[in-house]
Amino acid sequence: MNDSPELEKRYRRLLALYPRSYRSQNEEEILGVLLDTAREGQRRPGVAASADLIRAAAWLGLRPELPRSAHTVRGAIRLMCIGAVLEAAALVTYLVTASSVRSVMLRTDPAQWPAVLLHIRAVEIGGPLLMVLWLWLAWANGRGKDAARRALIPLFGLTTLGFAFVLATGGVSHSPADLIVTGVVWLFQIMTLVLVFLPASDPYYRRQAARR
Amino acid sequence: MIMTALAQGSQHGYRIMTEVEEISGGRVTLRAGTLYTALDRLRADGLIDVDRQEIVDNRLRRYYRLTPEGTERLAAEAARLHANATAALSRLNLGTLEVTT
Repeated sequence: MNDSPELEKRYRRLLALYPRSYRSQNEEEILGVLLDTAREGQRRPGVAASADLIRAAAWLGLRPELPRSAHTVRGAIRLMCIGAVLEAAALVTYLVTASSVRSVMLRTDPAQWPAVLLHIRAVEIGGPLLMVLWLWLAWANGRGKDAARRALIPLFGLTTLGFAFVLATGGVSHSPADLIVTGVVWLFQIMTLVLVFLPASDPYYRRQAARR
Repeated sequence: MIMTALAQGSQHGYRIMTEVEEISGGRVTLRAGTLYTALDRLRADGLIDVDRQEIVDNRLRRYYRLTPEGTERLAAEAARLHANATAALSRLNLGTLEVTT
């Protein structure tokens, strides 16, 4: 074992990145293993070992603390993460196809263009916000926060209204590819909502609330 | 591979790392961060548990062991891999896999 106090201090700094509850139970043990694997005379953590500790700390900080029994919540969280990716895909598709929508609009119905432009600007701002919101919902539902579960209802309501508006206007401000992606996002939201409100998910949210 | 390292009895973190390296013929080198993330997940899934803990050189050392469910899962996974390997060798006309005990 490497007994360098300098190395120990530096490893402790890296371990300070771990969540507090995890650190209080495991820090001394991990530190022992780190010092066991250190070379004789080593004074600084290696780059690979440091990167590994930072990656592990990030994972432990972000992972959902789900027991295997909460498989419906686990499924919903997967869908929320996929939802964030789909929002990104929808945004990219929308931005890529916006110029063709613009040229068609200006040719066929120029009077509608200001309203469509406003819609495009709203998507440009709202898209990244929705991605962040999906990720936050995945994180918060993974921790059994009931408010995060309930927050899915207005989100679904808004998405449904937006989607219905787009369909009612004949999809004039969206390309076919973008309409498909938006429809898929909407379907994912329904599935997510069903999963978190299934009776099988209730015990997990109740247990997490009791723990707080 | 961590579960394989625990198949013959309880081991502490450092020993698991060296066992994994040995089992993989040096191809896999576990680092502490990765090891403890994996141990945490295996514990949460009920596949391993802490067998005992002791203090060595003023440092906490925990020994991990397979739970009955973990043993069962490892055996099932090993049997599945064995069946796949046997099928592959047989199709390559290299005969069946010899299992040494």
